[in-house]
Amino acid sequence: MSSSPDRLLLELRSIRVPGRNAPRLDDVSLQLRPGERVALVGPSGAGKSTLLAVANGLIRPEAGEVFWNGAAPARSRRRRRLQQALIGTLWQDLRLIEELTVQQNLNAARLARWGWPRALLNLMLPVETAANAEVLAQVDLGADLLEQPVTALSGGQRQRLALARLLRQDPLLLLADEPLAHLDPRLARDLLDLLLKQASGGRALLLSLHRPDLLAGFDRVVALRQGRVVLDAAPSGLTGQQLAALYRSEA
Amino acid sequence: MTVTSAWSWRSLRLAPPLLPLLPALAWLPVLLVLPGLSHGGGWDLIGEFAWAALNPSLDPLVLGSLLSGLGITVGIALLGWALSLALGLLGGVLSSRTVWRTVIGSALPAELIRRLLAVPRAMHELLWGLLLLQLLGLQPVVAVFAITIPYAALVARVVSDLLDALPTQGLDALRLAGAPAAPALLTALGPALQPGVISYGGYRLECALRSATLLGVFGLGGLGTDLRLTLQSLQFSELWSGLWILLLVMLALEALLRALRQRWAMPARFGLTRRSVGRGGREVALGLVLLLPLLVLVAAALGVSPLQLGQLQPLPPFTADWPAVVALPWLSLIGSTLGLTLLAAALAVGSAPLLLLLLAPWRWGRLLIQAVWALGRLWPPPLTALLLLFVLQPGVLTAALALAFHNLGVLGRLLLEAEESAPMQAEEALVAAGAGPRLALLYGRFSALARSYLAYGAYRSDVILRETVVVGLVGAAGLGSLLLESLSSFAIDQLIALVAVYVLLTLMGEDLSDRLRRRLLAA
Repeated sequence: MSSSPDRLLLELRSIRVPGRNAPRLDDVSLQLRPGERVALVGPSGAGKSTLLAVANGLIRPEAGEVFWNGAAPARSRRRRRLQQALIGTLWQDLRLIEELTVQQNLNAARLARWGWPRALLNLMLPVETAANAEVLAQVDLGADLLEQPVTALSGGQRQRLALARLLRQDPLLLLADEPLAHLDPRLARDLLDLLLKQASGGRALLLSLHRPDLLAGFDRVVALRQGRVVLDAAPSGLTGQQLAALYRSEA
Repeated sequence: MTVTSAWSWRSLRLAPPLLPLLPALAWLPVLLVLPGLSHGGGWDLIGEFAWAALNPSLDPLVLGSLLSGLGITVGIALLGWALSLALGLLGGVLSSRTVWRTVIGSALPAELIRRLLAVPRAMHELLWGLLLLQLLGLQPVVAVFAITIPYAALVARVVSDLLDALPTQGLDALRLAGAPAAPALLTALGPALQPGVISYGGYRLECALRSATLLGVFGLGGLGTDLRLTLQSLQFSELWSGLWILLLVMLALEALLRALRQRWAMPARFGLTRRSVGRGGREVALGLVLLLPLLVLVAAALGVSPLQLGQLQPLPPFTADWPAVVALPWLSLIGSTLGLTLLAAALAVGSAPLLLLLLAPWRWGRLLIQAVWALGRLWPPPLTALLLLFVLQPGVLTAALALAFHNLGVLGRLLLEAEESAPMQAEEALVAAGAGPRLALLYGRFSALARSYLAYGAYRSDVILRETVVVGLVGAAGLGSLLLESLSSFAIDQLIALVAVYVLLTLMGEDLSDRLRRRLLAA
């Protein structure tokens, strides 16, 4: 994992994604540097999830350009996959593979870098156990869970496992789509602290958030409304009035 | 806690995504043996056959004859299907434990009727067809009843299973309120039963079309007879005209049934789960009303009448030589039948997910496998076997390949339908993290599909065991070959013994596959 501080880990230039009635994203530009922690806020339907899907390559914009770690998405499928391996996403619905064990789920994060033999071996034998135990420890889970099926975990354990899988991917850019929704306040705070802690050094974090009370700890807040960036400021410079205006129509 | 990454055989455990692929390992010994079985004489014929696919005959005389054959096949399928549904529904109600418990307080009659219905179910429609042919002579009613008898028993089993799986709280409440048994059953269970029955009924119509074609291959009339004659006389262009017509009809029927299933919110075939009755209740009733005059017209056009069942043909005198029957090499016959079943089942069950995994992510791959699977479904196994005989020697492997190709078509389509309707969030997450499309499919989607697919594969193995009789004509050395021989030589004593063993074997196979299916779905 290497990235110089002046290099952009993510750059979106004038992105436009069409929608049914109005564009889901319209002329959106955004830059993220190593070590930056950016909160993405806005009312429901503002385009936060779409922006994250453009950032991780699941949606190709109709217009505009995406740069990952300073480079445009490669034409070669293999190179593009390696580029995508540097972007990790924590999904709101977690997207764990329910039928597999904790260890197999963690190793699934390595599929972009693994060949078929190791990917198949992971479905038969315990593979890279030490590395998996290490990421579990980072999210305060014990290595005794490695051979447990995902279905045996509690809700909180599943949240942490999803984060551990993200760390196992070892990405430069961490994207998180409403990861704190449906969590009780204490669990939400714990998970946010873990995420903020990971976004240090060469990594950057872009996290969509529905709760303005959790903005402390972020370097920047980017607000979206009706598919457009309406605000990009430090949390300290953000006024209650601005936030109220952002969510007014929703209220 | 110390964590070691030492591997041992004890820690070997196959994760769900690998399980559907495991049977494909059967290809390894097959590919090793195959060169030795090839006699290499008929590759030019195979080439001609393949080339003729692009040059079907458009001769009006040929097309007219094929369309007339198609009319007979579709008519036989429609009549056999409708009769089997009506009888199967009745049989299903009579063999339901819930129904008998409600009516007389004991499920014993249900158990007895279930066991009785297992016998007609265990015999393949071809066997019924050939037996009825001896009794009634060659006429369309033979093919209609050959389909009706085993299908009715199959429908009865599914209906009774669906009925007995329904929750009975509503029924209990009605009975406690003093409602008589029949109205209470109809009110409490009828609406909930309807979606599953209609969905399964539609599926049986597809099967009936395939069965009617197969019966034709064995001389019971219709398009199948034309297909066999054109293949045996090497008229490949005419053969392909028939195949393309059949393919169009089959795909149109499948598309129509799929559209109706979606419109009426019926469950998919992979799991007949219970749902509420859709808005289509009135449309279903209307469809049934319109179906009745159509069936009468079809029966009149084909000259099918129940009275024909009373016109039995004189049979040759029955002379039994039981010691000779006992002296038959039963162990080897049963062994090769089971070997044929297992090999064909492994090849079919394993190849569908393997092909999907290898080809589906490729741009044209999905279309290609859909085309191959459609051909597999429509191409009757005996014709595949005959085609394979151009290049392979007769035997178990040739028969297994023919059976596997047909069942691959059925299983593959089901797998594709299930794969397309399975949640894709996990796969999407893997793709976003840079996983290749095949690995993402394997990890993300096969995980969720594996057990239900294998459970269906277990059911299909049981069907394959019944179907081994249809490839008997390529000398597969199993019970099927001898059975066809006994039929044509009027060796009634041998025939009775062989049918009895077949039925016993099928019932045991059905029991085994049921247990396996329950275990897979419970895991």
